[in-house]
Amino acid sequence: MIEVEGLEKTYSAGSVSTPVLKGVSFRIEKGEYVAIMGTSGTGKSTLMHILGCLDKPTGGSYRLDAANVGSLDDDALSHLRNRKIGFVFQQFHLLERTTALKNVLLPLIYADEYPADAEERARRALIAVGLAERVEYRPNELSGGQQQRVAIARALITDPEIILADEPTGNLDRKSSLEVMAIFKKLHQEGRTIIVVTHDQAVAEHAQRIIVLKDGQITEDRVVKKPRDPDVELETLGDEEDVQ
Amino acid sequence: MRMRRIVWQGIRALSESKTRTFFMMAGTIVGIAALTVIMALGRGTEKQVMRRVKTFGPRAIMLIAGGGKNAPPDMSVTTLTLDDARAVREQVKDLEIVTPMAWRFRINVKHDANQYQAVLWGVEPSWHEAWDWYAAEGEGITDEDVATIARVCVIGQTIKRELFGDIDAVGERIYLNKVRFTVKGVLAKKGTSPMGSDFDNRIIIPITTAMRRVLNVDYVGAIRIITRNPKLMPQQIKEIRALIHARHHITPPQEDDFRIASPVSIAKMARGTSRTLSILLVALAGLSLLVGGVVLMNILLISVGERQKEIGLRRAVGATRGDILSQFLAESLTVTSSGMVLGSGLGAAVTLILKQATKVPVGLSSAPFALSLAFALLVGLFFGIQPARKAAALNPVEALR
Repeated sequence: MIEVEGLEKTYSAGSVSTPVLKGVSFRIEKGEYVAIMGTSGTGKSTLMHILGCLDKPTGGSYRLDAANVGSLDDDALSHLRNRKIGFVFQQFHLLERTTALKNVLLPLIYADEYPADAEERARRALIAVGLAERVEYRPNELSGGQQQRVAIARALITDPEIILADEPTGNLDRKSSLEVMAIFKKLHQEGRTIIVVTHDQAVAEHAQRIIVLKDGQITEDRVVKKPRDPDVELETLGDEEDVQ
Repeated sequence: MRMRRIVWQGIRALSESKTRTFFMMAGTIVGIAALTVIMALGRGTEKQVMRRVKTFGPRAIMLIAGGGKNAPPDMSVTTLTLDDARAVREQVKDLEIVTPMAWRFRINVKHDANQYQAVLWGVEPSWHEAWDWYAAEGEGITDEDVATIARVCVIGQTIKRELFGDIDAVGERIYLNKVRFTVKGVLAKKGTSPMGSDFDNRIIIPITTAMRRVLNVDYVGAIRIITRNPKLMPQQIKEIRALIHARHHITPPQEDDFRIASPVSIAKMARGTSRTLSILLVALAGLSLLVGGVVLMNILLISVGERQKEIGLRRAVGATRGDILSQFLAESLTVTSSGMVLGSGLGAAVTLILKQATKVPVGLSSAPFALSLAFALLVGLFFGIQPARKAAALNPVEALR
């Protein structure tokens, strides 16, 4: 469960201070699928960094389950990220010259306990994102969509409660985007909390709920009555390609 | 366990860019190689010093005719006499033996058709004790031989071999400068002298015979002195020097017509030869480790810049600042300790080549390994800490941008 209350973030450079988040409040229950929307410069990246425990708020509170994130030190935040949050970035951020398998295993390096079946788990995660045949491939041998799916497998390896995706389809073509969204849909159905940060309305509409951010404040927080279904769209995409 | 995984991340990063890793390692390799050679040289020198001191005699003092520091004994100096030996014996306390020797290099020794250029020593019976060198076959020089100016000799192993081969030499006749002598005994094998020459090419005869019948001189070449107590040696050397100065009417700015060799001076001489090389190598080792360390640091600093995204990602998936610091320190320490292993190998190889190609004494051992490792880790830590800190201090949000 995520609960933010009057969240503020102000960047100070010398005597100039720039408020980026100006009192943001919402609650995301376990198992929700939420999109945070906003055009660039509205503070959505900052919000994502705070939700992902990469950054700390300058005002208000952020509770992640029992933890009051604002009061934790750097090491505690690192452990929290490791245990509870799986990141998916626009630029994938895979380690070059490192196989898909080793990339997926990376978060376990920093876990308190390295599971005996770590490799087996990593393979399963790769199978789950449809990369059973690409386990030993390096990022430069994979397409963008495949790289992003490796990144998702990496996010899943520690079995986190929350998947936090920042413009996950920003660098992908339509088909790969839909494949990624289909994976999110599946993860959501398995009971995971998914937060997608995006500027793209079409991406946001895959979620059950959309929070719109503008100038550091929430202007809209609505339920999506009928979320888009990536699986259906992938089928029609196939049809479209057939027509062409 | 967690730390081991993090260290492995560092090692893997190194193995993924081998050229870069090699350049980071180069300085350590050269530095440690130089260090290894220095240690081998030092050890070799000490072994040689000990051997030479042992051969010279740890309790011995040699009073040698002729000035200069390490010049070979000067046969033309005529000022050292039997009276000098007597004076030393009577006036300097706590001396066990004072035995004068008359000598000549290259004297022709002949038996039948065989000839040999030997070193002749005219000695008193106490010579045997003073050198701890006795006849292995037959007998040594006795008081009676000296008193009767007997034409008897005791020969070294090399002369025995050259003149007699396997035949028994005792009782045989030989000619020394056309004077006939009877071989009375054969000296035990001695090996190499402190100066590096063959000791077994000596022929010894009574000192009286040498001075009156062979060389026709009234002076001696050297006086060998054995102290009762090695601790008194510095003081005794001073007394002997003062005594000879007085007897020879020498006042110090004036040059000595004799010199005194002791275990200390022998050791100093033996050490002197390898000193220049050692100083050069110490400079090379220090410089290589320093330059190598600076190169290592700079490559690591550049790599921290290049790997910002990697660092940001690691932080995002749960690495603490300490974990990043550990990884980068592991990288620099792995570089320097691998460099140390390679450098030790290189140093050992250079040492062996040096041993083959020159006569420089060397002593390879595993002892420098610990010192080299300490140096390598020190360099790795000293030059690795700053890049590691820089990496750890990166803000993950900015690193990921």
